[in-house]
Amino acid sequence: MVDTEVAPAVAAPAVQRQPPGLLLVAVAVIATCGLIYELIAGTLASYLLGDSVTQFSTIIGAYLFAMGIGSWLSKYLGGSLLRWFIRLEILVGIVGGCMAPLLFVSFEYVASFRLLLYALVGLTGVLVGLEIPLLMRILEHRYMFKDLVARVFAVDYVGALLASLIFPLVLVPQLGLIRTSVLFGGLNLAVAAVVLARFPETRPYRRRFATGIAAALLGLAVLFGFANKLLAYTETLAFQDQVIYSKSTPYQRIVLTRNPRELRLFLNGNLQFSSADEYRYHEALVHPLLQALPRARRVLVLGGGDGLAVRELLKYPRLEQIRLVDLDPGMTRLFRHNELLLALNKGSLNNPKVQVLNADAYQWVRQDTTRYDAIIVDFPDPGNYSIGKLYSAAFYTALARRLAPGGRMVVQSTSPYLARQSFWCVAHTLAAVGLHTVPYHLYVPSFGEWGYVLAGPDAQWRGDAGPLPAGLRYITPGTIHDMLRFPPDMSEVPTEVNQLNNQALVRYFEEDWGPYVH
Amino acid sequence: MPTRRTFLAQSGAALTGALLLPALPGCAPGNPLAHIKGRMLGADAATGHLLRDPGRIPAPTQTIETDALIVGGGVAGLAARRWLHRHGLTDTLLVELAAETGGNAAAGHNAASAYPWGAHYLPVPDVRNVELLDFLQEVGTLTGYGPDGLPIYNDYHLCHDPDERLSLDGHWQDGLVPNLNLTAAEQAQFARFFKLIETLKTAKGHDGRDAFCIPLDHASADAEYRRLDQLSFADYLTREGFTARPLRWYLDYACRDDYGALASQVSAWAGLHYFASRKGRAHNATGGDVLTWPEGNHFLTEHLRRHATAPLQAHTLAYDLRETPTGVEVLIHNVATRQSTRVRARRVLLATPQHVAQRLLAQVPGHALPPAGSLHHAPWLIANLTVAGLPQGPGRPLSWDNVRYGSASLGYINATQQSVQQENGAPKVITLYWPLTDEAPGPARRRAYQTPYTEWLPRVVAELETYHPGVTPYIQHADLWVWGHGMVAPTPGLVWGTARQAAMQPVRNRIFFAHTDFSGISIFEEGFYQGIRAAREILETTKSS
Repeated sequence: MVDTEVAPAVAAPAVQRQPPGLLLVAVAVIATCGLIYELIAGTLASYLLGDSVTQFSTIIGAYLFAMGIGSWLSKYLGGSLLRWFIRLEILVGIVGGCMAPLLFVSFEYVASFRLLLYALVGLTGVLVGLEIPLLMRILEHRYMFKDLVARVFAVDYVGALLASLIFPLVLVPQLGLIRTSVLFGGLNLAVAAVVLARFPETRPYRRRFATGIAAALLGLAVLFGFANKLLAYTETLAFQDQVIYSKSTPYQRIVLTRNPRELRLFLNGNLQFSSADEYRYHEALVHPLLQALPRARRVLVLGGGDGLAVRELLKYPRLEQIRLVDLDPGMTRLFRHNELLLALNKGSLNNPKVQVLNADAYQWVRQDTTRYDAIIVDFPDPGNYSIGKLYSAAFYTALARRLAPGGRMVVQSTSPYLARQSFWCVAHTLAAVGLHTVPYHLYVPSFGEWGYVLAGPDAQWRGDAGPLPAGLRYITPGTIHDMLRFPPDMSEVPTEVNQLNNQALVRYFEEDWGPYVH
Repeated sequence: MPTRRTFLAQSGAALTGALLLPALPGCAPGNPLAHIKGRMLGADAATGHLLRDPGRIPAPTQTIETDALIVGGGVAGLAARRWLHRHGLTDTLLVELAAETGGNAAAGHNAASAYPWGAHYLPVPDVRNVELLDFLQEVGTLTGYGPDGLPIYNDYHLCHDPDERLSLDGHWQDGLVPNLNLTAAEQAQFARFFKLIETLKTAKGHDGRDAFCIPLDHASADAEYRRLDQLSFADYLTREGFTARPLRWYLDYACRDDYGALASQVSAWAGLHYFASRKGRAHNATGGDVLTWPEGNHFLTEHLRRHATAPLQAHTLAYDLRETPTGVEVLIHNVATRQSTRVRARRVLLATPQHVAQRLLAQVPGHALPPAGSLHHAPWLIANLTVAGLPQGPGRPLSWDNVRYGSASLGYINATQQSVQQENGAPKVITLYWPLTDEAPGPARRRAYQTPYTEWLPRVVAELETYHPGVTPYIQHADLWVWGHGMVAPTPGLVWGTARQAAMQPVRNRIFFAHTDFSGISIFEEGFYQGIRAAREILETTKSS
């Protein structure tokens, strides 16, 4: 490579002893920005993916490695180095500035979030790695080399220190990740603007670049304003933990939060599961039923768009078809594509045995003609009259018609301790449509005592009917046996049958939960 | 050639139009109702009024014969047709003025839902009303009988909970009986009134018959109860010390709801009957439950229609009736084809309001129909509104029947109540009921007919705004319907006076009558009963001849 344009520049200015203060400030800014991006990527990765030690070390490693690639690549840059530098600052400003918003928003849409994360980290790293070598090449003939190296690196490391201090102490608490990212992108653009203005040789392309910088700054400014809304939208304040995903569908508001220990799913603000103990809930939902159906081939799951019940079902190789009907495509899409959630449900919804249908369960069941050996009903709690219809005698009548001979179903039935009347109302409603019921319960730490009702055409169900799949963490023949016992504070209470024309269950549920919400 | 006079009139109109245009709601820029689409619908009063001037109708071009001609396709006419069909008299022809049969049980539908244009529910019936129970079993509303012998109703036809809510001081309470912020004295009056009703529900006269029941013809003749027909409900209530304002509002509401008239306009017997006749029992419902369908009672009238295969002509007006040596001859005119037909029938059933029968029998002696205008028929406005949402105030959620304490209208029902689908933010249809009881039926009817859509719409929207402040932008569509003769009101003396019984007597076994006007109370059960009663009279003459 031949430095055709730098050569005259060498001769023109006399070699000065020290770089001017402004340039050193620019170096400090660049250095701070570079480290801030690294910190943002590391923090975001641990927010969104959990396991902060791993996330931070791999992000830092990848970022430093990418910077190395950038430094090495800098030797291939020729022509007007100054022009390259300004271009570079604009690019860093845009990529770094958009990094946090992009990662936040894409978390719900991108199939492989990790790929995007590391691609962005790599790209930013390469660009940041180019900065200092390029700057030094630009300045090498204008200043004394030993001074240059000393000052630039000193300021670089000061910038790093500054970044590492203000990031946790000021930026994250005051601005949040998104606005920090956008702000520092703006600073990179400002460096580009200052260099553009200070160096006379930029004159031929000054106007064009200035326009570009202005446009990018405007874009970031809009993003900065929008970030506020985005933050409110993610409801960070409403939840104890970091909200890593939130979306309103026509049916519900889906929110995922995470802390170092667990991932939690909320629908309309109600906890659906915690990754720390959901296995208890889902093993108890599926295995007492399935172990008693050695000939089961076809299973229907209503609700359960998280695929966690299906994950348990897939532990029975004898099953040939699992049909899941969940109202909300937003929910099943999330649990079919998001990497983090795929790790949790083991990709169950993408299994070839599994058919996912997005439909209104009530309407769908009334029109369906298939018969199933097992039906798993995992609806949200009956907190409103719309959902209350899915716990009605009329619905259970329609559902019982879908059972194959010898088939059985299980219904998640809220907490027999916190909502005792509600729980027994579900049991009595199932019994009222002529089904034999087996109520049972267990302790799920994040929920409290939780209950289910098994229901079938006869009283033949047994808790030790067949072998359980290997590797269960909660359900054993012993725990099944224990779950059938109801101590006096949860024992059966008389209730009405939940009918469409009385919605007794919703009224019980309001009464039962009243003391806890006020 | 335009004369000077027409020229002046036209330019005057044009000028007035130009001046008024900006003030018209539909045209003004920034008009908050501009986004609401819709139109005026309604029973075809213009066609009906042809009857006043039959000279304008073309002469008949063909003659057909039938055993029994039924004029009027409301509940009574359809019930009679079905009953005749079931008992072997299948050679009937039914003519109906409107585009569809069903009378007050009209209905419409759009992308959001089917919805009623009139009658829209049936209380769980008295188990002794066997004819009605049999019909309900045929249509799948009654699915069988429980071990207690009581009917089991189709879960999808019983009104889903929550069924009623009342907005009181901006708060939605459960049920329509006001119960927020009542004084002890007011509460005591409510309690005393409902205790009285419980007594009257089981009360029997000296003849062993129920004091109050449906159909009302089966009620006791005991003077103790029939005396109550002589005074107004309002006078009775005052006399009995039922003076608490919330109670009187509630009872007025009930009278406007069922009779389209105020407590001061209906008899005490009728006012009490509204409550004390509700004796329905069911295996899976209570006496307070009702049966309802998105399309309202059109569900029932469509089944009534399908339960007979005899010919039926809509858009058809009967405009002339005379007796012949072998029966009757009725001239009918199809307003769609503009063709008139001579119908030779052995007998005719006039299943029309009394004032229509009165006009048709202008030349026929021997009937005891009261002169036109003697019955109290209030006009009604019904509005079907498609709403993208309803800004919800504090209290109970959207219910089937939604009423505001003290409101001018009767409130609205949610046509999508019986849907089992999960709430998905899709538009809903709500049906607002508004009996026009502010002035006497005649002037109110004329005013209602003359009021254009552009004047009705702001009134309807303003009314709904009192229920849901801020609802206007959510209203997508509003169709309005005026019933000129909404329903008969049981004014004092009507139900148990001698005129009612006399009026329904057949004329020389050729002309028969069936309509809720002959009951004095306009409910499905009475129309159904009237139809069957008249059909039985017709069958009786067949047997004897």
